[in-house]
Amino acid sequence: MSEYILDCKGVCKSFGGVHALQNVDLRVKRGEVHCLAGENGCGKSTIIKAISGFQPQDSGTIEFDGKVYQSLSPSVSIDQGIQVIYQDMSVFPNLTVQENLAINTVISNKQKIYNHRQQREIAKKVMATLGLDLDLDDLVETLPVASKQLIAIARALYAKAKFLILDEPTTALTRKEVERLFEIIRDLKAKGLSILFVSHKLDEMYEISDSITIMRSGQTVYTGPMATLSEEDFTHYMTGRDFSDVDNKHAEERIQRDTQPAIELNNLSGSGFAGVSFKVQPGEIVGITGQLGSGRSELCNTLFGIEKATGGTITCSGKQVTISSVEDATRNGIALVPEDRLTEGLFLPVSIMENITVVNFDKFTKGLTLDSPAQIAESADWVKEIHVKTDDHLLPVQTLSGGNQQKVVLAKWLSTKPKILILNGPTVGVDIGAKYDIYALLRDLAKQGLAVLVASDDLTEVSRLCDRTVVMRGGIMTGEIADQELTVENLTKAIM
Amino acid sequence: MNKKTKRLLGRNEFYVAAIIIVLALIIQVISGQFIAINNLVDLARAIIVNAIYALCGLLAFVSTGADVSFPMIAGMTTYIIFKVAEVTALPAFVLVAMALAIGALCGCINGFFIVKYHFNSLIVTLSTSAICYGIAFGALKGVRIDVPDAFKAFSKWNLFTVRSGITGLGAKMHGAILIMILLYVLAYLVLRHTMVGRSIYAIGGDEISARRAGIQVDKVRFGVFVVNGMIAVIGGLCYACMCKNCSPMEYYGGENIVIAAIVLGGVRLTGGHGTLLGCLLGTFLLSMVSNSLTLIGVSVYWQNVFIGLIIVIGASISAIQAKRSLKASKELGKEAA
Repeated sequence: MSEYILDCKGVCKSFGGVHALQNVDLRVKRGEVHCLAGENGCGKSTIIKAISGFQPQDSGTIEFDGKVYQSLSPSVSIDQGIQVIYQDMSVFPNLTVQENLAINTVISNKQKIYNHRQQREIAKKVMATLGLDLDLDDLVETLPVASKQLIAIARALYAKAKFLILDEPTTALTRKEVERLFEIIRDLKAKGLSILFVSHKLDEMYEISDSITIMRSGQTVYTGPMATLSEEDFTHYMTGRDFSDVDNKHAEERIQRDTQPAIELNNLSGSGFAGVSFKVQPGEIVGITGQLGSGRSELCNTLFGIEKATGGTITCSGKQVTISSVEDATRNGIALVPEDRLTEGLFLPVSIMENITVVNFDKFTKGLTLDSPAQIAESADWVKEIHVKTDDHLLPVQTLSGGNQQKVVLAKWLSTKPKILILNGPTVGVDIGAKYDIYALLRDLAKQGLAVLVASDDLTEVSRLCDRTVVMRGGIMTGEIADQELTVENLTKAIM
Repeated sequence: MNKKTKRLLGRNEFYVAAIIIVLALIIQVISGQFIAINNLVDLARAIIVNAIYALCGLLAFVSTGADVSFPMIAGMTTYIIFKVAEVTALPAFVLVAMALAIGALCGCINGFFIVKYHFNSLIVTLSTSAICYGIAFGALKGVRIDVPDAFKAFSKWNLFTVRSGITGLGAKMHGAILIMILLYVLAYLVLRHTMVGRSIYAIGGDEISARRAGIQVDKVRFGVFVVNGMIAVIGGLCYACMCKNCSPMEYYGGENIVIAAIVLGGVRLTGGHGTLLGCLLGTFLLSMVSNSLTLIGVSVYWQNVFIGLIIVIGASISAIQAKRSLKASKELGKEAA
C-alpha cells in the first residue's frame, strides 16, 4: 500500500486557452491533514473539481488509494470515498434535517422509492457519526451556519469517506465554532481519515495542518511539511513577491509631529463605547483594535456621523467640531471605508468609474447633467494612482478581485480629498498580495499628510501597519500601545 | 409554545384553512346558504379545473420557476382535439391519447429551452403560451364549438345530484372530480414517496447542491415541464366537457388566478416550497370567495377587489414567514457565538 492516498501527477486543465492548471502535483499522505493554499484564482477549486470528478482534467493522472485514473466522474469519486464539504455546505434549506442527512445515501443506493421510516433510521445513524443532537424535523434554513456544516460533514462521513476535502470551512464560523470544527478534524485524523484543508488563514493552517501545498497561477510552487515553513516563505510562495519592506514603517519620515493633530478626541462617548481620548497627527497611522463588541466599529461610525456622539469633543485641525451627520464628517475632511465593502461601500454591477466618482457628483454636475468626460478623466487618474488592476475602468466593479475592489472604495473616498481616513477592517477577505499593496498604499497616502485610522481585529495587521494603536475592550478605551511594544503578543494580552 | 404548534403556525396552509373557516361562518351568518349541500357541491365542482392547473403551477414553481403556459396549452389542445373529433370518428381514448401527446410536446418545447439554454421559465412559457394562443385563433379560427360525440358521455357524467331542503335548489357533481382526486393522489405518491418527487423539492431548494448530490437536475426539470403539459391538457379537456363546449378565449389568462391560489397556499416564488394541501386550500379559498360573495349579494366587480386583497395578504404571510425563518437562523447563529 502506497504511503499516499491521493497522488495527482501533472494535472492540466484549460478553459478556452487559459491554463487554469499546469502540471499540478498534489500528494496527500494517509491519515494527515494537508493544507491547500493559494490566492484567489490560483486553481485551488479547479483541482478540487478534478478530484471530485465534476470537471475532469485535460491531461495528467489522479491516483487514489492505489488506483490510477485518467479522469474521475462524480459517482466514481464518491464510490471511492472522496467527499467534498463545500464552502456553501451544499445543504437543502427547504428540506428537513432528516432529509438533508439521508438524501445522499438514498441517492447513492439508487433507490427509486423514498421510504420515510428507513430514511429516519439513516438520518439517526448519520448523526451518530459525529454525535450530533439535532431535531430531525426542523427545516435546515432555520439552523445556524455551524449546524449546517456539521450536517454536511456528518453526511460525508456516513458515506464512508476515506478522503475529506474541506473547502474554506471556517469562513462563516465564529472562533468557538472553528475550535469545535478543529476538534472534529483531529478526531477524524485519529480515526485514519485523510483531510485536504483549503484555507486562506495562515494561523489556522499552522494550527491544524501537517503539511501544505501552495499553488500559484495554476502551478504547484511549494509542497512540504507545515511546521518548517516560515511565514515569509509562505507569503513569498503565495504571491511570488517579497514583502521585506512590509514591516518597515518609515514612521519618522511620515509623521508631522510639529503641527496640530489632524483629529483629537477628548473623552468621546457614544452608543457602544465611552471615554475615548486620543489624537492622530497628519501622516500617522493609528490602529483601533479590540474584539468583536469592543466598540471599535461603533467608534468609527460615530466619527463619520452615522451614529451620534453622546458626550465628549472632537477637534479637527485645532477646531472643535460637531459631527452629527455624514455631511458634517465629509465637510471636516473625514472619510470612512466601511467594514463590509461589498454591501456598504460599492455598487457592484456599476462601473468602476461611476463608483469612484459617486461621492463627488456635485463636482461633475453641469446644470442638470453630469460632465462625463471630466468624470472619466478623474476616475482614470485614480485607477492609475492606486494601481487598480483592470483593463477598462468602465467595467463593473464586480469584475475585480477582492483587493482591487477595496482599492476602488479607497479611491472613492480619497477623491473627496480627506484629511482623516478611517478604515474599518480594511483587508477582510483580501488576498495576501493585495493586502500588502493596500498597506503600501496607505503608507504612501500618510506620507502625503493624511491621518489614517485603522479599526481591525487582525492583530498581525495592526502590528505591521500601524505606528501606534488604541486598545478597546467592552466599549472602553483601555490604553495605547506604540513603537517596540506593538507586537502581536502584547496586543493579544491587551484585548483579552 | 412547543415545537409542533410553532411549526403549524409557521405554515401558510394553517392560515388559509383558518381564513376559509372564518369566511364560511361569516357567509353563513349573512346569507344562511353557505352550508347548504347544493352550495358545497357547486363549490367542489368549481375548483376541479383550477385545482388540476394548480398541480402544474406547483411542480413548476417548486422545481424551476413560473409556468404560465398551461391554460393556453390546454385551450389549444382541447380545441384541436374537438376539431379532429368532428371530422373523424376516432374513439375517445385515441383522442385523449392524442391530446396528451400534444400537451407533452408543448411541455418538451418548454423544457428544452429552459434546461438546455437556461432561459428563465417565465419567458419561455410566456412565449409558448403566445404561440398556442396564435395557433388556436389564427390557424384554427377559435370559434366556439360544441362537445363532439366522442366526449358526450363524459360531458354528461354526473356522479350524483343533491337538492337543498331549504331552498329547493339542486346541484350536480361532475365525474371530473374523480379525475382531479386521482391526479392529486398520484401527485402525492410521487412527491412524497419517490426519489423523483423529493428531487423536485431538492432542486428547488438548492440547484447546485442537488447536482453535487448526484440528482439529475436537467432530466427532472425537463420531465416536470412535459408532465405539466399533460396535466394541463387533462384540465383543459375536463373544463370543455363540463362546459359542454370549447372556446379557446375562455382559457386565456387562466394562469393568474391559479398562481394567486397556490401562492396563497404557501408555494414560494423562489422555489423549493409548496404542498398539495396548500394548492387545494388556496384554490378552494379563491373559488369560495368568488362563488360565495354572490350569495351575500356582492357585485362581480367588487369580488375582484376581495380576491386582490386576499392575494396580497396571502403573499405577505409567505414573505413574512420566509423572513422570520431567516431571522431565526441568524439569531441562533448569534447564540452559538
